[in-house]
Amino acid sequence: MERLETFVYWILTSKFRKTMVIALTIFAFFASLLMFPTGGVLARMLPGKSATTYSIYVDTPTASSIEQTKKVTSCVTNILRNEKEILDMSIFYGQGIPLDYAGLVKGSLMKRTENVAEISVNLTPIHEREEASFLMISRLRPMIQETCQNLVPGTVIKMIEQPSGPPTLAQIVLEVHGEDIPQTRRIAVEVANIFKETKDLVDVDIMADDIYKKYQLLPDIEKIAKLKLGIEQVNNILYLAFQGMVVATKNSEHRSVQTPIYLVLSDKTRRLRDSSKDAIKSKLSSLTLMNRQGLMIPLTEVVQIIKVNSTPMIMHKDLKRMINVIAETDNVSQVYPLLDAREKMVEYFSKAYTVTNAPFSTYMFDLELVHKITGAKYLLRWDGEMKVTLDTFRDLGAAFIAALVLIFFLLVIYYKSFALSGIILGGSFLSLIGVILGHWVADIVTTETFFLTATSLIGFIALMGISSRNSLLLIDYAMGLIKNEGMEKKEAIAKASATRATPIFLTAVAIILGSALLAGDPIFGGLGVALISGTVAAVFVSLLFVPVLMDNAKAMLPDDCEEREEK
Amino acid sequence: MGKEVKEPYVVKDVAGKLGQAFLRNPLTAVLGIVILALGWIALSTMPREEDPQIAISGGGIMVVMPGATPLEIENIISKPLEKKLREVQGIQHVYSTSMNNVGIVNVMYYIGENREDSNLKLYDKVMQNMDQMPQGAKQPLIKPFDIDIDVPIISIAFYRNANSKLSLVEFNEEIRKLKHKINSIENVAKTTISGAHKEQYNIEVDVNKLSAYHLSMGQIMTAVKQLAVNVPEVKGRTNGNQLVFFGVSNAIHSTKDIESVMVTSYRDSPVYLRDVAKVEKGIDKQNFQDVELIYRPNNDLSKPLSANIGQLTLSVSKLAGTNAVFVAQDVMKLIDEEKPHFEKLGIEYRKTRDYGQRANAAVDELMHHLVITIIIIAIMLVFALGWRESLIVTFSVPAILAITLFIAYMTGQTMNRITLFAFLLSLGLLVDAAIIVIENIHRHLHSPEAKDKEMGALLVEATDEVGGPTNIATLAIIMTMVPMAFVGGMMGSFMKPIPYNVPVALFASLVVAYIFTPYLSLKLLKKPEHDESHDMEHNPYGICEICQGEHHTEKHDEQTKTTKEEK
Repeated sequence: MERLETFVYWILTSKFRKTMVIALTIFAFFASLLMFPTGGVLARMLPGKSATTYSIYVDTPTASSIEQTKKVTSCVTNILRNEKEILDMSIFYGQGIPLDYAGLVKGSLMKRTENVAEISVNLTPIHEREEASFLMISRLRPMIQETCQNLVPGTVIKMIEQPSGPPTLAQIVLEVHGEDIPQTRRIAVEVANIFKETKDLVDVDIMADDIYKKYQLLPDIEKIAKLKLGIEQVNNILYLAFQGMVVATKNSEHRSVQTPIYLVLSDKTRRLRDSSKDAIKSKLSSLTLMNRQGLMIPLTEVVQIIKVNSTPMIMHKDLKRMINVIAETDNVSQVYPLLDAREKMVEYFSKAYTVTNAPFSTYMFDLELVHKITGAKYLLRWDGEMKVTLDTFRDLGAAFIAALVLIFFLLVIYYKSFALSGIILGGSFLSLIGVILGHWVADIVTTETFFLTATSLIGFIALMGISSRNSLLLIDYAMGLIKNEGMEKKEAIAKASATRATPIFLTAVAIILGSALLAGDPIFGGLGVALISGTVAAVFVSLLFVPVLMDNAKAMLPDDCEEREEK
Repeated sequence: MGKEVKEPYVVKDVAGKLGQAFLRNPLTAVLGIVILALGWIALSTMPREEDPQIAISGGGIMVVMPGATPLEIENIISKPLEKKLREVQGIQHVYSTSMNNVGIVNVMYYIGENREDSNLKLYDKVMQNMDQMPQGAKQPLIKPFDIDIDVPIISIAFYRNANSKLSLVEFNEEIRKLKHKINSIENVAKTTISGAHKEQYNIEVDVNKLSAYHLSMGQIMTAVKQLAVNVPEVKGRTNGNQLVFFGVSNAIHSTKDIESVMVTSYRDSPVYLRDVAKVEKGIDKQNFQDVELIYRPNNDLSKPLSANIGQLTLSVSKLAGTNAVFVAQDVMKLIDEEKPHFEKLGIEYRKTRDYGQRANAAVDELMHHLVITIIIIAIMLVFALGWRESLIVTFSVPAILAITLFIAYMTGQTMNRITLFAFLLSLGLLVDAAIIVIENIHRHLHSPEAKDKEMGALLVEATDEVGGPTNIATLAIIMTMVPMAFVGGMMGSFMKPIPYNVPVALFASLVVAYIFTPYLSLKLLKKPEHDESHDMEHNPYGICEICQGEHHTEKHDEQTKTTKEEK
């Protein structure tokens, strides 16, 4: 402690050395901030969470049959069969798995068509398994998608991880807003293609119906009326024959549900030869309708068959038409691929559209497209995790500033000095150096990417408090020395640094040891690293940087003895 | 400095007052035990979940309009409904999907909106505008989201083994019975069976025979409908005024009854349903929502995964705010009781989801972290301050956590990952108050002046001395945490436990440090033999200076002696 005292005093006695300390600190601060744009430290909302379960969504094109969907799922499960760490899998056809947090926002509850299936996979317990679930997913994903997606062209297979924070529709969501439906669809497809080309983006999907060929039966109203039939009759017969209908029910004392009586054409006679118009015509000709006079009229007499395109569903968000294009990231932060894809989009769409950037807000990455010829407007709006991240960081930032202001006022009340309060705040801000450097080191040490996450930010906010307390105790002590013992300012500051070093070290060691276990946790690792490295930085700041600033502050001296400083 | 007039030390901070009040109070020990007991109660009974509850409210409105195309639905259903719903306060986004025959409008309220109010507002708005519903549209279906009830906490897969003689329908019926029993368990909200099939009479008409007999599907439908009528019994009266009941029973008892329905007569001989169709009592074959299971027998990793087998998944959700661990345990207990019965029938089962267990595992793991961390800090303090001092600080940690846990329990929070994260975060911070106090006590005890002082007064003085700056510093840390409560959105809601619990823990750490640290020091610490000379010559706080070598009252001395003897 003696040496620390002499060392601090040695710094304080020379103007050059004092300036050096300040310059070095400021240099370190900006150097660490530079880690962000240079990619030394990567930011992400929340890192992946190793879980004992994940799910796989299989979506075959809109008009696919359950048999086609089953073909794809069995391809997927056959690949998964080779996995040693899987305990069981449940395959849900035509519906979602029992709802979970991921499914909640991904529309799992709404699934009830033949072209969907979900598989839930349970793994061995986390501690008995070497491979984290998110690594397993990123290993299996290309294998599954390459082999199984081609079985039914247009199939999308998505690997769904358990969200480590609040669930979102997808990590990357781009809403394509536009009133012109076909053109909006085209833009959506182009966006999806850009996503597919972007590195680290996987599971790209356009959330819109596929357009498929279908046949429309146009009823000949005049003929129907002449033959004394009803249009409803025509509708019913078609439904009854091909879809089947529950025509009656029977109650039972032995069953907990009613027993329906279901009427349909037999499977053999219902099947069409192929999907041609002739096949439909010949099948329909064998269906007859009875009119009010008891005459039998073949269905084909009163309807005309035409081939049309299906009309896809129309999605609105806040009263505007839009189509979602979604993608997941392969175990990286969504920010960097998003910016990549956005850059490509600007370049791509500039050919046909005038592209303008959105103003600064949490929608700041949005792009506005105006067609160069038609003048039609389209909006590409980023939602999903990016929006949540920006919103959260904005709110956390505001919370942080509010915290700063509150502490500042508190300190001003306590010390009745703006300068001292400013020193404490400024000092506490500098623990950011440690936080960023800590993440950089952690990233180098660990094999996977170590992200700066929301938990790191929370750690940083907590650190503000810790390091301001260090400075507070220091200033308090030094002021006591000057006031009560009449010590010379520099001497007092050096003495205070040395004496308060013990509790500062003790509490710092307590925090470091306390956070050591956290650092290994996949989710709270950011907090652990932030606390450990930030505390180290805070100790240096409190013991070296703050004393220098204290020496420069007039307010250190008690009101009644300002003249003592002058001597 | 020299000798000054000895005056009794004047307590000026709340720290000293608390310390003084509890120093010799026999209730202090009781208070300590009560706090620990309350903490233990909270720990064992507090509802545990993996993720904190997020108050998401929203709902969906579905309007069916048969025969309408997406564009028609968009114009006459989605748009007017969206516009009306925009008028509701608190709605963040309105989404709509216009498909063939049906329009769905989903609303998302801002996170944190009261769920019951939101549901009511939604219902109200739709009902108020019922008169504007277009003709041909069916009654709108309003379905509020309910996350607690919609997300099952436990799911169990039931399947039949090779020895089972149960038919699919009987197997389904067994599980339905079980579902009924589970519904009666306390705090169980909703039970669902996925992949279930109903018993059904299937009438499969051969279209070729239909044309041979000159029949239409409509005729068959009418014939079957006429047969399956359920009418209530009628009351008749005898001459003697006695009641006689008689009624027509449902004509359908078996497949035969349906087969023998006379559809028409052809050349004067009756045509029965069996002549044109195959009737069987089977399952609802139009239902494609099957569920399959692939599992590893006995969870033995050396064995291969089984083939796909049909299964039923029974999923159970709990009521909001109840303990997932307990509900899951109760459900499993009930199912295990049924095991012998299932074995007889050849039904096997395996758990495919257990959030209770997961919550427990997550909570236990973090608790484990907490304990290890406390031990590490304790060991560190043994070296830095001595084992008695270390013991005192170590006691304060469980006491602080106990208070925080109990307050969290009382305010209706649940124990989840984020709550424990808050504890881990505060762990490094909350030993600080105790460390600072104990360090000051330690310093005072080892100072040369200590031998003249009465133990109790010295402890109060040491506590009081650091009170001021510690209060301000802790207040500063609390202030950094509080603004986090105002972070909006899902993420804000997700991390609410941090701003709720960290300030409480910090406040508790102050109280515990002021009450129990002097108290335990009195019991555990002794004044050292004064051969070592710790320098207290520079007393920073000025307060001490006045009272160096203070008078000690006889009474206090006696008490100190007795307490020491008791020990």
